[in-house]
Amino acid sequence: MLRRVLFVLTIAGLALVLAACGGGGGGGDQGSSGGGDCEGPDGDYLIGMSQANVAEPYREVMNDDIQRAVDKVPQFEVQFADAAQDNAKQVSDVENFLTQQVDLLIISPNEAAPLTDVVARVHEQGIPVVVLDRKVNGDAYTTFIGADNFAIGEKAGQYISEELLPDGGNVVELKGLPGSTPAQERADGFRAGIEGNSGVEIVDSGVGDWLREKGQQQFEAILQSNENIDVVYSHNDPMAEGAYLAAKSVGRQGDMEFTGIDALPIPSGGIRAVEEGRLSATFVYPTGGREAVEAAKKILLQCGDVPKTQTLSTTQVTEENAEEVYAELRR
Amino acid sequence: MTEESNRQGSAGRILSKRPALPSGRQEWVEFLFRFQSLFGLIVVFLAAIAFSPRRDGEILFLSLVNLTNILRSVSEIGIIAIGMTFVILVGGIDLSVGSILGLAATGSAVLMVEDNFGVLPAVLLVLLIGMAFGAVQGFVSTRFAVQAFIVTLAGLQIGRGLARIWSGGQGVAISYGEGKGQAPESFSILSERVFNGLVPVPALIFFIVGAIAVFVLNKTTFSRHVYAIGGNERAARISGVPVMRVKITVFAISGMLAALAGIIHAGQLSQGSPNDGIAYELDAIAAVVVGGTSLMGGVGSVVGTIGGAIMLGVLNNILALNSIDINTQYLIKGLVIVAAAALLSLRSGDR
Repeated sequence: MLRRVLFVLTIAGLALVLAACGGGGGGGDQGSSGGGDCEGPDGDYLIGMSQANVAEPYREVMNDDIQRAVDKVPQFEVQFADAAQDNAKQVSDVENFLTQQVDLLIISPNEAAPLTDVVARVHEQGIPVVVLDRKVNGDAYTTFIGADNFAIGEKAGQYISEELLPDGGNVVELKGLPGSTPAQERADGFRAGIEGNSGVEIVDSGVGDWLREKGQQQFEAILQSNENIDVVYSHNDPMAEGAYLAAKSVGRQGDMEFTGIDALPIPSGGIRAVEEGRLSATFVYPTGGREAVEAAKKILLQCGDVPKTQTLSTTQVTEENAEEVYAELRR
Repeated sequence: MTEESNRQGSAGRILSKRPALPSGRQEWVEFLFRFQSLFGLIVVFLAAIAFSPRRDGEILFLSLVNLTNILRSVSEIGIIAIGMTFVILVGGIDLSVGSILGLAATGSAVLMVEDNFGVLPAVLLVLLIGMAFGAVQGFVSTRFAVQAFIVTLAGLQIGRGLARIWSGGQGVAISYGEGKGQAPESFSILSERVFNGLVPVPALIFFIVGAIAVFVLNKTTFSRHVYAIGGNERAARISGVPVMRVKITVFAISGMLAALAGIIHAGQLSQGSPNDGIAYELDAIAAVVVGGTSLMGGVGSVVGTIGGAIMLGVLNNILALNSIDINTQYLIKGLVIVAAAALLSLRSGDR
C-alpha cells in the first residue's frame, strides 16, 4: 500500500514538473535576436533581470518596480532570476539569459569581481546591459544606475544638524555591515553633513549589520552607557526600528528622535514607520527599477543612447510628505 | 507483496556490490532502480528537449554552449557530492563541505594574491588543509563516538570562522599578472574552456575525479570496507574491517574534494571570499540522494551521484530557460528531490 502511494506521489511530482515546463514554454519564443540592429517600437523584447538576492526586501521592491514598469510597455516582457547571494549561481543565471537570447540584461550584481567577466561577455555580444545599484569592474556595460550613498548620508546629517538639533546635541550612530560600501559611505556622508554645526557630536556607535534585531541589541547596550541621547542616526530603517524598540522597552523613546535610510514603500518599510511616528525621518534609497526600464525603452524602442552613469537622488521623508511619497513610489 | 519487496531488497544489496548486466525481468527492474538517476537524467533531458524554447527552429536547450554551461555549473557541486557519497556510504554525513569550499577559495586567493605563493604550492597546501580538516572530523566522530552530523555541523562553523579570519572578513579579488598583489597567470586556466573553447576546465576536473572515484569504489579493498561499514558497522568491525581508519579516510576524501571545488570556485569567479559556498552542502546531499545513495549507508554509487548532480543541473537550466517563476522553481526542485527519495525507498522497502 505504502509503495503504491509513493509511486503515485512520484508520478504526480513528475507530471507537475512537465506541466510547469509546458506552461511557461511560450516565454522565450518572441523577441528579436540579440544583435546590434535596432528594431524600434515594432519589435517584441525579452528582458532578463538577474537579481542578487530576492530575500532582501529592498531587492524584492526593486523587482516589483521593474515588473510594474514593464507591464506598462506592451512590447516588453521580463524574466527574473534569483542568485540567492551566490556569485556562481548568478553567473549561471546570466548565462541562461544568454542562451535564451534576451534582448537586454538588467543585473544587480551580488559582488563586482565575480560578475565582471560574464557581464562583459553579454556586452560583447551586442546585448545592452543595465547595471543596477552595485557596480561591476571595468566599463563593459551600457549604463550604471545607482544612488549616491554618500549624498544620502550627507542629507541625513544636514537634516539632523539643521532641523532636529540646531542648538547641538548628542547623536548615536547605528552602522551597517562593516566592510560593505554603503555602510562606509553612509558614515562618511553623515560626517560631512554635520560639519556645519559644531554642537552636534557623535557620542557612541553600534554595528547592527543592517538587521533589526541586531540594531535592537546594540542599542540596548548603548542606552545603558549613555544618559543623554538626542538623536539616533541609523544606516537603515530596520536598525532604526530596532533601536526604537530598545528605547521603548526602558521607556526612553520620548527622549530622543530616530532617523533611518531606505524608505521602502512596503507595510514593514520606513515610510510607514514615519507615518506612525516611530521615526522622525527616513531617506529614500531608490531601487532604480523604474529608471532601468526607462533606459531599456530608450535603448530598444527609441534606438537612442543613455548616459554611462545615472545617479539617482534621494527624497527626505517626514510626517508631512510620507503618505505622498509612499503613493508616488507605488505608482 | 512483502515477499517481493524482500527479494528486491536482497537483490539490491548483492547488485550493489557486484554490478552485472541483468538477465531476468525482476533484475531489469532492479537495474532501473540501481541507476535511477541515470534514467531520471534521461527523462529530464528528454523533457528538456521537448519543452525547450526554440528560436528560428533551433532548440536552445541543445545548443552546445548551453550544454557545456550546464556541465560547468554542476561541476563544483558534483565534485563535492562525490566526496559526500563516500561519507554517506559509511552511514555518515558531511555538513562542513560548503564551509571548506569557502575556506579553500579564500585560502587560495590569499596565498597567491597576498602571500605571493605559486599556483602549485598554493593548490597543494589548500588541498592538504581540506584533507586534514576532513580527517580530524572523521577522527573526532569515530574516536569519541559523536554523530557525524554534530561533528560536521561544528566543522561548518569552524571552517567559516577560519575563512573569515584568514582574509579579515573580506573577499579577495584575484587579478592576474607578475608580482605582488596579483596571482600567477596559469591559475586562470580554471576559468577557461578547452577543446575549441567548448569544454569548461572545471567539468573536465569533475569527470576525472568521477572516474577515479568510480574505480576506487568498484575495484579496491577499501570499497568493500566502505560498503561493509555502511551495511552493518558492528559486523564489519567483528570481521576485521579497520573501521576507524576507513572512516577517517572517507572524511579526508570529502574534505579534500571540497577544497578542490573551492580552488575551482576561486578560479571561476576571480575571487576568494569567506562567504563562498554557503549551503552548498545541501545541494551536494541532494545530488547524492537523487543519485540513489541511501542516507542509511551501504547502498549507492558514484555513477548515480554524478547522474544526480547533472540531472539537477539540467532541471535548473530548463526551468530557467522556460521563464518559470523563481518561486515555483524552488517548489519543483523540492518535489523532484522528494520523488527521488521516494523511489529509493520503494527500492529498499524492507529497510
